[in-house]
Order: sequence, then structure tokens, then C-alpha cells
Amino acid sequence: MMFVSTRRHTLAILVSGALVAAACSGSDSADSPNATEAPATAAEAEPDEAPDDSEPADTEPAATDPNEPAPLEDEDQLTSSGEGNVDLASLEPVAGGEITFGLTNDGTGFDTTGAVAPGSIRVITALNDSLVGLDADANWQPNLAESLTPNDDFTSWTITMRPGLLFHDGEPVDGEAVRANLQAFKDSPTVGFAMAQIDSITAVDELSVRLDLSAPWAALPYGLVGQPGWMVSPSTIGTNETFTGTGPFILESWTPGDGARVVRNPNYWRADEGLPYLDAINFKFLVDVTVKRQAFEAGDVQGYVSPDDEDILDFLDDDETDVWIGTAGANEYLWLLNTAAAPFDDLRVRQAMAHAIDKQFIIDAFRSGLTIPANGPLNPSDRWYTENNYPQFDPAAAQALVDEYEAEFGPIEFELSIEPNASVIEVAEVMMSFLTDVGIDGKIKEIGQGQSALTAILDDFQAFSWFQFGSPDPDGDYVFFHSSGGFLNWTNLVSADIDAGLDAGRQNVDEAGRKAGYAQFLQALGDEVPMIWVDHLNGVEAAVTLPELHGIGTPGILPDGSASLPMTNGSFFAWSGVWIEQ
Amino acid sequence: MLIFVQRLGRLVFVFFVVTFVTFFLLDQAPGDPAERFAGLNATPEVIEGIRAELGLNGSLIERYLRWLGNAVRFDFGDSIVTRGFSSWDLIRESLPKTLELMVFAEIMAIGIAVPLALASARRPGSFIDKASSSTAFGLLALPAFVLGIYMSFIFGVKLGWFPTIVDNLPGLNDDPLDNLRQMFLPSLTLALNLVAVYLRLLRSDLIETLQEDYVMLAQARGLSERRIMWRHVLRPSSLNFTTAVGLNIAGLIGGAFIIEVLFAINGMGRLVIQSVILEDFNVVAAVVAILTVAYVMMNFLVDVLYSILDPRIRHAAR
Repeated sequence: MMFVSTRRHTLAILVSGALVAAACSGSDSADSPNATEAPATAAEAEPDEAPDDSEPADTEPAATDPNEPAPLEDEDQLTSSGEGNVDLASLEPVAGGEITFGLTNDGTGFDTTGAVAPGSIRVITALNDSLVGLDADANWQPNLAESLTPNDDFTSWTITMRPGLLFHDGEPVDGEAVRANLQAFKDSPTVGFAMAQIDSITAVDELSVRLDLSAPWAALPYGLVGQPGWMVSPSTIGTNETFTGTGPFILESWTPGDGARVVRNPNYWRADEGLPYLDAINFKFLVDVTVKRQAFEAGDVQGYVSPDDEDILDFLDDDETDVWIGTAGANEYLWLLNTAAAPFDDLRVRQAMAHAIDKQFIIDAFRSGLTIPANGPLNPSDRWYTENNYPQFDPAAAQALVDEYEAEFGPIEFELSIEPNASVIEVAEVMMSFLTDVGIDGKIKEIGQGQSALTAILDDFQAFSWFQFGSPDPDGDYVFFHSSGGFLNWTNLVSADIDAGLDAGRQNVDEAGRKAGYAQFLQALGDEVPMIWVDHLNGVEAAVTLPELHGIGTPGILPDGSASLPMTNGSFFAWSGVWIEQ
Repeated sequence: MLIFVQRLGRLVFVFFVVTFVTFFLLDQAPGDPAERFAGLNATPEVIEGIRAELGLNGSLIERYLRWLGNAVRFDFGDSIVTRGFSSWDLIRESLPKTLELMVFAEIMAIGIAVPLALASARRPGSFIDKASSSTAFGLLALPAFVLGIYMSFIFGVKLGWFPTIVDNLPGLNDDPLDNLRQMFLPSLTLALNLVAVYLRLLRSDLIETLQEDYVMLAQARGLSERRIMWRHVLRPSSLNFTTAVGLNIAGLIGGAFIIEVLFAINGMGRLVIQSVILEDFNVVAAVVAILTVAYVMMNFLVDVLYSILDPRIRHAAR
């Protein structure tokens, strides 16, 4: 087991609210708008005049065959040949059946107004439909909502719900229910920061809600793909032990530390499409990799989330098993550098660190070569990705920078804060040895299990071993880099270019404008080096399944008939489209 | 009666000491449970409110006494990590599985170890003795996690006789066959490790007892070997064996963490380890309190059993 980590598990429990909420991160920034001059031309929303026509204007509905494998966008997205060998055209989804699916992380509850653990999110994806979905190209599409319509300058959005929707308890999913959910999220002291840019939430009629913003926010719908867009019955808002949502399955039982069982929702709003196919899913928390694998080989589980690289490599050669590895939505492993304190307040030291570390060596030695070197938070397969000038492995350049700094300020010494996890510490120690080679003296400082987020918030660190990012849309990571992010701007770097780039990405509606914004952001991030990037952990979201189990790793179907982002990519999960051969 | 009261007094004393030390150690742990409960972005007012709600205000002694007052009513406070569930809810979910695992494992272990020990002691150096001793040493040397993986692989993956994980375990009353089928491998894995200890202990005590005069007298009187072994030798040879069983039972109530992980059993072992890792201190304190009571009670029962097994102990106490 290489990069699966209990550290990540515990960190995630603390920061998962931030990570999930990051999908719609906002700020109090009231920067002057720059998007209004370029209204929706190639992007997702139409202004008020066309409220019922809010589908992305530039996106053709994609193929809807649920058997179609996830598109291989690049060589890094791997799949075994198992499902590829099947005559897909001859396969028709079959209703019925029950599966057991292994999860790595335990859940901690279902309170949509608090920090939700990754294990809980996996279960929630079967119980929930978000207001907004992502299509196969990761463009937002109305999902539970019928439409999302901005005003001319994107300072106000109107969400209109589909008529006749019901929660699992039979209550209507109306404008007031949506308002109550969004308001509760915004009021949450834990995750409400993600909606700080929303001034008011008003139910305007039976099915519609208007969000008035303090600044233009063209990318707002992307935020409603994740946690802020989860709707639960108003009487259960803030309830942690159950989830009364709108999704294809109803929570039958949840036993902390053991698993959850969900059963088909007979009143599902897409039942006329035959969804969901399965009768029930048993989610079983299986901590140990060997146990998961033996349970799979014995047929006790039909699939499982696998973060283990050796496991994935083994199964990729096995025609009897399907392995689905998503590239989008994968976390990155990195070190945060506190740029507000010495020695990392000096750009030369940060650049020297980046030059000194051989990322490929770490990937080969610790990840079986499965992951991709990172130069920033965006995966190369991400459509917003552009290359930057992040310093690459060059010990001579690192040495020169160290010599220059040391001539002025003396030896470079620092502490790396890290949670006590052997496999992560092992990687950190190797990185330290690279630094030692160029004269940088680093020491590992273990902090308490689960103390990462708090330690980072309190700025009680020089460097920090960290896992994060991978939001399906870069706007989701806004608050962690933007200077207005406050204590969530982990590295304390204040960069006009980073701010301007992120604001352009948030406020522009056209793809070219957004891409230019994120290019500026990535370039500034590469120039300023507030983080030491290691790799994109693509394997984290891998799913191992029996060939008879379909729909995992293949696109789901959005209400308009277009294909959704495959299950192993990003946060939009489509359990409704999963079926098993009988 | 006096002994009973003394033992009970000792039990209460141990309970106070252990729970207070635990409470003190948890109090010294880094981090503020109220801040964790409140989340990343909580205001000081919110944190203060949660602190009051969780009963974290006041001195250590005040908080301990408050906790103790609630604990006697099985109110150990809410889980900080799994909000909506009380600590007692989580224990109530885990304890039955652990107890079932422990009881099955002990029954299997005793059922295997006692006949083997009798057969070995009756003919020391015989094939049975050598074979059982070698197996016992082998099992002792084999860690539970290795044994468990092999058992799971052979009987679960290869032969498909038993499930490799415990999933949606039905109650013994609801579906005894499925229950027993799911619990068989973990119980057997746990039992095999215990067999080795029990077998060695009992065998050596039996051999020692067989040298006693009254055993030779019984043989001289023509009593059958089976009757001698079961009625006159086994009972007085069982003191160390009983102690080991008692201590193991008490220890296993705390869960067999490795077995629980290997077979995905949501038992006390997993609960306590997870709670420690996630710093769910209310649950940790609750589990420690329950285990303390269980441990002391088991020791008390073992003491009582001593006097039943060997009347000399009862008379000496008088």
C-alpha cells in the first residue's frame, strides 16, 4: 500500500467540509466585474430573457449508452480490457439485483450543513441528486433543478425546480425547500464560507429561488454540483444520522464503522426511465486492502474503491476484472509552504525546493509509476489546464539559489509538519534527502492525528505535508489560493496575478475568458511557488469491479439525455445507472 | 459474604482509578474537542456554546464527577465524530458482535484444547502428544493476521465455504445458520491462537496432577481411566487454565482488533481504535469504563470459580 493513508482519512474528516464546499467556494471579495462585457456566448447560462433554455449553448448532448466505457481522454486514464471485450451493443441494462460495494473510508454522518467525510459522500451519491450535474466534458447541466438562469451581469441567479419532485419522506422539493437548504448551508459556521458571496436567498414562487450576489459569479452553478447543491427534506436539515434526499436510493440503515444499506426509491423522479436499476446497494467499509481484495475474489463484494497502486496494477492485467481510474477529481500530494514566515517568505528558497526534488523518482518508487507529476492543482487532462513555469528537477539550479540565499541570510532550516502515517512520512523523508543534497536542512515534525487543518489554519507551520484539490471545476479551489480566502488561503501568499486569474475564471462566462484566467492563475502559481507539488493521485478514485457490474466508470445519463461525467471522475456519481448482469 | 463485599469494594476502587486516569490522559491530549466539533470556520461564541453543550467547562475534577454521574445511567455523552449517535449507541452496536465472537472463539478453543490436553497428558510422548504440541507451538508462532488471511483465502476465496467478511450479520435468533456461517472463520481464527495457550497450560497441570497420591489410589481401586481423568484430575488441574480463560475473555471483550479488521467486523476493537485515531474522546472514555467493569467482573468470577474448583481455597479464605 503506497499512498493510501490514514492521515488523509483523518485530514479529510476535518477538511472535507472545506473540500466539498470548495466546489462552490466564494469570497467576500467585491472586485469590480469584468465578465459583463462578455456575456454567455460559449458557456452555460442564458440571461433572464430565456429562462427555460439554460443548457450549455456549446455542448452537444453526448452519447447516452450507459454501457459505453468512459472516454479515454489521454493515456493516463486507464481501464482494463475486461469491459472493452464485451459486445456493448448487445448489453441492455437489467433491472434488479443487489450488490455489495467496498469503501475505504468510514462515514461520519450525513449533515449537509457540516463537514462531510469522504465515506459519507460515497453513500450520499446514491441517496441524492444535486441541483446541478456535470456532463462528460465537465460542463454544468441542470439536474434536479430544471434551470439556472443568471441576470445580465451574473449578480443574481434564479434556480427553478422541476414540478412534482418529492423527497424520500414524501415532502415536495419546492422553492421553499431549496431556499431552506441553501440558507442552512450559507448559515453554517463550518462550510458557509463557500457561499459568502451570496447576499440573500429568496423563494420567489412555488418552484423558484433567487440568489442575489455581492459580485458577479458566472461559475456559480459548478458550486451546486457538490455539497451546497444537495437537497434534503427541510425537517431533516442539519440531521447527521440520516439523509432524506431525492436520489434513486433510500437509506435503509447506517451503522457507523460498518456500512450502510440503501434500497431502491420506488418514487424516484426518473423512474419512468427505468432508474435506478439495482434493488439495493450494501456499502461496506473495508479498511484493509488485503481484506477488500480477498472479499472481491471470493465474490463477497462486487466492486470496491481502491486507492492502492499495486492492487490496480495487478488487476489491470486481469481480464476477469475491470479497473476504472479517473483523472479528474484526483487529489494532489504537495507540501504547503508558509510564505508569511522565514525561510519561505523568500522566493529563492521556494524555487530551490522545487528544483531540488525529483518528482518522477517518487512516483516510480512509491506509486508504481501510476500517478502524474504535478506542477499545480490542475491535472493535465483537465480542460482548464495550461503549462506553467513551475521549477523542474535541476539540482544545479537549486544549489545556485541556495548559495545565493545562504550568502545573505545563512543556512536554510525548516520543519515539515506531518501527521503520523508511515507511508507518507516515508515519501517525505525521501524528499528531505533531495533537499539535503542541495544544502537545505529539513526536519520532520509529527503533529497529532487529525490536527492538520487546525494547524494550517493557525499558521503554526513552516512546511506542511498535504493532500488536497482536484475540484471538477477550478472555481472550487478558489478560496484556498485567493488572497480573500483568509485562513483558508493556506500558504498566505498574496498575489495580484493569482487573484486576477481566479476572479477571471469565476466571473467570466465564456470558455476562452475562463481559460485565460486559469492560465494566468497557473502561471502565477508556477512563478510564486507557494507549494511544492509532487503528483496527481489519479488512483485515489479508482474502482475495481466485476465485469458483470456495469455503469461504474461509464457515463451516466443526465435528465436531458446527455452523458454525465463517469462515476470515477469528479463528484457527480451516477449510482442510478449502475446495473448487474443477472 | 465479607469476601464478596471486599471484592466488590476492590472493583469499585479499580473502576474509579482507571476511569479517572483515562479521563486525565484524554484531557491532556492535544486539540480542543469543541473546536473539532464546531468545524473549521466556527466563531468563538459557537465554540463556547459547544463546549458548554459537551460539558467541557469546569475543572478536571468537576468534569470527571459530572461524567461519572452520567455514566452510571449509561449516558456517556454523544460521539464527537459521529454526531447524532451517543457513545452508548455505538457500543451497543459493537459489543454484541464482539461478545459473540468471544463466546464462539472460547467455546471452540476449549472444545479443542481440553480433549487434546487430556489425551496428551494421559500418554506423554505419544504421537497425539507430540503432534498436538508441535501444532500448538506452530499456532503460537503464527500471528493472528497471518492465520486470518490464510483461513480467509483457503476457506473463503478458494473453497468458497464461508464468507471472507461479516456483512449485514443477522441476529442469532433471526437467521442462526447465516449468523454462524459468517462468524465461523473469525471465531476459528481467534480460537486457534487460544488453543495453543490452553493446551500447553492444561497439559502440564494435568501431568502434574497425575503424579498425586490420590490419583494412584483411584487407579489402585480400579476406577476407569476416563473417570479418573475427567472427574479426579481435570478439576484440580484447571486453576491456571481457568485463569487464562478468564483473562482472555476479559481481554476479548475489548475486541480482537486484528480479527475484526481482517473479517470486517464492527466490534469493540475497531470501535476503540477508530475512536482513538479520530480523537472521539467521549467514546474512548465510555469504552474504557465498560472494559474496566468487564475486566474486574471477570476477575471476580474467576476468583469465585477457584473456590468451586478447589474447596481448599474456599476453606482457606474462611
